[in-house]
Amino acid sequence: MDFYLGLVQIIGVHTLLGLSAYCVLLTGQVSLAQAGFFAIGAYVAGMLTVLAGWPIVPALLVAAIVAGAMACAVGFPALRVKGLMLVVATVAFGEAVRLFFFNFNYQLERGGFHLGPHGGEGFRQIRYFPEHGWSTLEVMLFIWLVVVLVMAALWWMDHSRAGATFRAVGEDELAAQSSGINITAVKVSAMTIGGVIAGVGGGLFAHYTTHIEHVQFGVVLATFAVAYPILGGLSNVFGTLIAVIFIQGFLIEGLRFMGDWRNLLFGGLIVLAMNVRPRGLIDAGTVAAIRRFVLRCLGKGKERAGA
Amino acid sequence: MDYLDFIDAVQSLADGVLFGTTYALLGIGFTLIFGVMHKINLSYAAASIGAAYASLLVLAVMKAPPALVFLVAAAAGGVIGGVVYLIGFRFIPLANPLATLMSTVGLLLLIDEIIVHTTQGVPLNYPALFSDVIIRAGPFTLRGDLMFVFLIGCTCMAVLLTLLYRTRLGIATRAVSQQPTAAQLCGISVDNVNVLTFVITGVVGGIAGAMIGAAIGMLSPLLSLPLTVKGLVVTVIGGLGSIPGAIIAGLLVGGLENVFQFFRGVSERDLYIMLLLFVFLVFRPGGIFAAAPGRD
Repeated sequence: MDFYLGLVQIIGVHTLLGLSAYCVLLTGQVSLAQAGFFAIGAYVAGMLTVLAGWPIVPALLVAAIVAGAMACAVGFPALRVKGLMLVVATVAFGEAVRLFFFNFNYQLERGGFHLGPHGGEGFRQIRYFPEHGWSTLEVMLFIWLVVVLVMAALWWMDHSRAGATFRAVGEDELAAQSSGINITAVKVSAMTIGGVIAGVGGGLFAHYTTHIEHVQFGVVLATFAVAYPILGGLSNVFGTLIAVIFIQGFLIEGLRFMGDWRNLLFGGLIVLAMNVRPRGLIDAGTVAAIRRFVLRCLGKGKERAGA
Repeated sequence: MDYLDFIDAVQSLADGVLFGTTYALLGIGFTLIFGVMHKINLSYAAASIGAAYASLLVLAVMKAPPALVFLVAAAAGGVIGGVVYLIGFRFIPLANPLATLMSTVGLLLLIDEIIVHTTQGVPLNYPALFSDVIIRAGPFTLRGDLMFVFLIGCTCMAVLLTLLYRTRLGIATRAVSQQPTAAQLCGISVDNVNVLTFVITGVVGGIAGAMIGAAIGMLSPLLSLPLTVKGLVVTVIGGLGSIPGAIIAGLLVGGLENVFQFFRGVSERDLYIMLLLFVFLVFRPGGIFAAAPGRD
C-alpha cells in the first residue's frame, strides 16, 4: 500500500514541477530552468526545517518566495533572448544552480550529528515528516492539498484576464505588443509564477525523499518538467496532470514488468506520441470534442426530463 | 604565481584548445541544423556518441586499424543522422517547434538507452592514434593523440566549409536556410536539403564522437548529456547559424574549461563555463561574430 501512496506522492510533486513549466510555456517560452528553481526550493525548505527548526508550511512559503525571486531575477536577462537562445540560457542557469549545490557546504551540529548540505554527498536527514509522526497517507494528502490549490489557482488565472494575456503573448508576440501588452512584464511574471510553483514543489520533494543531492536536479529533470505540459497539451492544466500520470504512473511504474526494455520504450513512446499528436495528448480539438459530448449527454437528459 | 604554475596553466590551456576542436564540431552540427530548419536537435550529441559506439562493432568483428574505426564512426553518424530526421522531424508539422523539441528529447533518451542496453552501461575502451608520440617544445609537451584529434577536427572543418561555400549542395543549403519559400520556387527540394543536412551533420557528429573517444580513451553513455550542454553553449557563444563562430567558440570553451579546471578544480569547472555563457547572453546575445546592434 505504501508503494502506491509513494507513487501518488511522486505524481503530485511532478505535477507541481510540470505546472511551473506550463505557466512559462503559456507565454511561448521554453524554460529548462525549472529544475534549478526546484533545486533552490528543495534546499531552502530543507535547510529551514532541519537547520533552523521551522515548521513545514512557513518553510515552503519561504522556499517559494526565494525561488520566485530568483526566477524573476533570471527572467530579466534571459527573456531578452528567445527560441533556442532561451533554451540554452535556461539550461545554463539550471546547470549553474546544480553545480552551485554540488560545491555548497553548510553544515551545523544538531544533536550530535552534522546536518546540512554537504557538497557532492548531498543533503541527508531531512526528517521533518517522520520526526513529527506524519504517516505516508498524511504526507500524500498534504502534497495533494498543495497540488489542488495550485491547480485551482492556475485554472482561475487561465480563465481570467491574466491568462488571456499570457496566451496572447504565446500565440503572437507582435500582435500582443501592438494591442498594448507589455511583453517583458508578462514574460517575467510568468517566469516568477513558474518559479514560485517549482519552489513549493522542490520543498515538498526534499521532505518526502529526505535526501537530496545535486544529480537529481540535472538536465533530465528539467526536460521532464517541460515534457509534461508539452505532452499533455497546453489547452488546460489537466493536460499536465494527465501527462504526469501517463509518464510516472504508466511509462515508469506501469512498465516495470518489462525490466530493461522499459527504458528503451520510454524514449520511443515519447517520439511516437509527438509524431501522432504534435499538439499534445489533450489538444484544443480533444477539449472541444469532450465538451460537445458532455453537452450532448446533458441535452439528452434535459429532453428526457422535459418529456 | 611562480614560473612553474604559469607553465602548467599555459599547458592546460593548450591541451584544452586541442580538445576544443571536438566541441567546435558539435557546435557546427547544432548550428547547421538550426540554420536550415530553425529547430534544435537535442539528440545530436547523443547520436554522435552512438555513432562512436557503433564503430566499435567493427573492432568486435575483426582487428581493424584505428583509422578504419574513425571512418566507420563517420558513416554510422551519417546513417543515424538520416534516421533521426526521419523519425524526429519528417512527420511533425514545421509550425510546431515544441513538438520537435520533445521528439528529439525522446530520441536522446532512446539513443542513450540503446547504448546502455547493448553495453550493460560499462564504459568501453576506444582506440587512439599516435598516443605514444609526445612532442616537446621547450617546457611544454604536446600529446600526439590530442594533436591528431586537432588535425582531424581542422580537416573536417575545412571540408565542411568547402562543401558549404563551393558546391551546388552548399548553395542549396544556404538558400534554404535564408529563405525556404524562395528556395522552393527556384526548384530546390527543401525535404532533400533537410535530409542531406542531417546526414552531413551526422557524419561530422560521428567524427566528433570518435575524436572524443580517442582523446578520452573510452566511451560512456554518461558523456552524452554534458556534451549536449557543451555543444549548445558553443553554439550560442559562437552565434546561431555562424560556422566560424562555432569554431572559435569551441576552441575558446575547450581552452577556458581546462584553465578553470587547473585553477578551481574539476567540480567547479563547468560553473564558470555557464557563467561565461550568461555573460555572453547578456552583453552579446548575437554571439562572437554578431553584427553590431543597430537600427535596421
